[in-house]
Amino acid sequence: MTDAVNVDHLTKHYGGLLALDDVSFKVKQGTVFGLLGPNGAGKTTTIRILTGLTRPSGGTATVMGFDLTRDAVKAKQRIGVVPESSNVYEEMTAAQNLIFAAQLYNVPRADRAARARELLELFSLEDRARSWVSELSRGMRRRLTIACALIHRPEVLFLDEPTTGLDVQSARRLRESVGGLRDMGVTVFLTTHYIEEADQLCDMVAMINRGRIVALDSPENLKAGVAGARIVEVSFSGDVALSDLTVIGGVLEVHRLGDKYRLTVSGASDVYGGLVDYARARRINITGLNTLRPSLEDAFLRITGETPGDAEAIKTHGRDP
Amino acid sequence: MEWLVRALYIAWKDVRVYYLKAPNLTYGLMMPVALYLAFGVTGQLNPGTLISGLVSLVILFGTMSIEAVAVVMEKQTRTMDRLMAAPVSPLTIVLGKALAGTFLGPLIAAAVLLPLTLYSGESIGSPILVFLAIILSSFTFSALGVLVSSYARWVPEAQMYANFLRFPMAFLAGTFVPLEAMPPWLQTATRVLPLTYSVEALRSAMGGGVTPTYILDMVVLALFSAAVVAASALMLERSRD
Repeated sequence: MTDAVNVDHLTKHYGGLLALDDVSFKVKQGTVFGLLGPNGAGKTTTIRILTGLTRPSGGTATVMGFDLTRDAVKAKQRIGVVPESSNVYEEMTAAQNLIFAAQLYNVPRADRAARARELLELFSLEDRARSWVSELSRGMRRRLTIACALIHRPEVLFLDEPTTGLDVQSARRLRESVGGLRDMGVTVFLTTHYIEEADQLCDMVAMINRGRIVALDSPENLKAGVAGARIVEVSFSGDVALSDLTVIGGVLEVHRLGDKYRLTVSGASDVYGGLVDYARARRINITGLNTLRPSLEDAFLRITGETPGDAEAIKTHGRDP
Repeated sequence: MEWLVRALYIAWKDVRVYYLKAPNLTYGLMMPVALYLAFGVTGQLNPGTLISGLVSLVILFGTMSIEAVAVVMEKQTRTMDRLMAAPVSPLTIVLGKALAGTFLGPLIAAAVLLPLTLYSGESIGSPILVFLAIILSSFTFSALGVLVSSYARWVPEAQMYANFLRFPMAFLAGTFVPLEAMPPWLQTATRVLPLTYSVEALRSAMGGGVTPTYILDMVVLALFSAAVVAASALMLERSRD
């Protein structure tokens, strides 16, 4: 079976800046593929090349077997594109936007209205069909942008940062929609800097950092790759110096996360005694203690060699205001 | 012909989104009407000479400004990416945008031509030839609007580029002063301006039947518009780099 996406030794220069450096990967049909990385890592450049918006400096990229440079129009007919910022026409209604998208993608005239109604219902926008886009909320515009991208039943859907800027409810709804698309047989290629989102949605994940692919595997395999270490989250009733915790036996790394301390340890049970002894000596209480499996975020940080401070743009639950 | 159908969809979208807005429509009309009041009503210029010049001018100001703004707005709102990601070539996109001006040009031209001919008592010699000249002028100036906005990132920047072309053309293309009244070197210089051929073609058509001048003017306008569309498509293609 043809790969949905095949990227081979892709490079992209912007003047003297190397945005993509010899990037290669494949995406199987009917899967959800996530491209993860901090802001400026090369995610958007990759997706722009794969959607025909940017020309690569070197290498090749094909979608459903069609080269994005040589057979751009044929490739584009098979893909749907949802850019980072919703780009529907504000001066048109939701339904008019869908019909225009249908016209652009050569959906048969007889099917356009029915397909538009179907998508409005699928994305819970049926009662806003005649609303001007300028009157819709950000979440509704996002859903409408995705609906427009699906009007021609694309085989591959590209989603660039699909939930950025959305409230928690809208983001959850959107993630459910992505899961539904996979069930419908659509290959979904998404970029995100919300790592937990990728963990929930993706069958395969590529991690990109400074224009290079640094890991390519399933989320579970990537997490298993850091299984040698475990994570202990602890909180205390009083202030604690990070340097005090690093000297406890078995502790490899310490990071402060809000009112908690995240310890990367060689063996969790070895550390418990040390933490209890430390709290007793300081006359403070342990108010919380959890042992966690390594997350995809931990895998990312381990693979890229960055600390949470360095990778500030990598978020887990955090949402833009 | 699938590409032409998609170009027409893009054109109709542009008409709905950008053209049918009162500020856009009136912008193209205001200056030519003011010029007619300044020169025509006061009797300083022959209305027969002036009307064809003003009709060309209203098309130039109307279609070129709106399309230049429309392209920049599409870039700013990222809807241009929507068009570029669709299965249409840059040539189809540019053609669609130029055709949008071709829908509107005849409307704003009629809004000036009909009242002025009624008011001045001038006759429209060949309505069909006048209509054809208006259509081709609208397409040419609309395409020119797409080209000047290729480099612009902001609306004022697009308007600045458009003004570089519009204002010299407005006064040098035989709009107010017949070409034959100009010094020879200036007459030669005006031959690089598309408005010159638009004014001349309209003036011939207003006078009556098909003349060699009319045919030559229309051929030059057609070649000029083809070159502008090709250059705009090339610019759009290069924006992918």
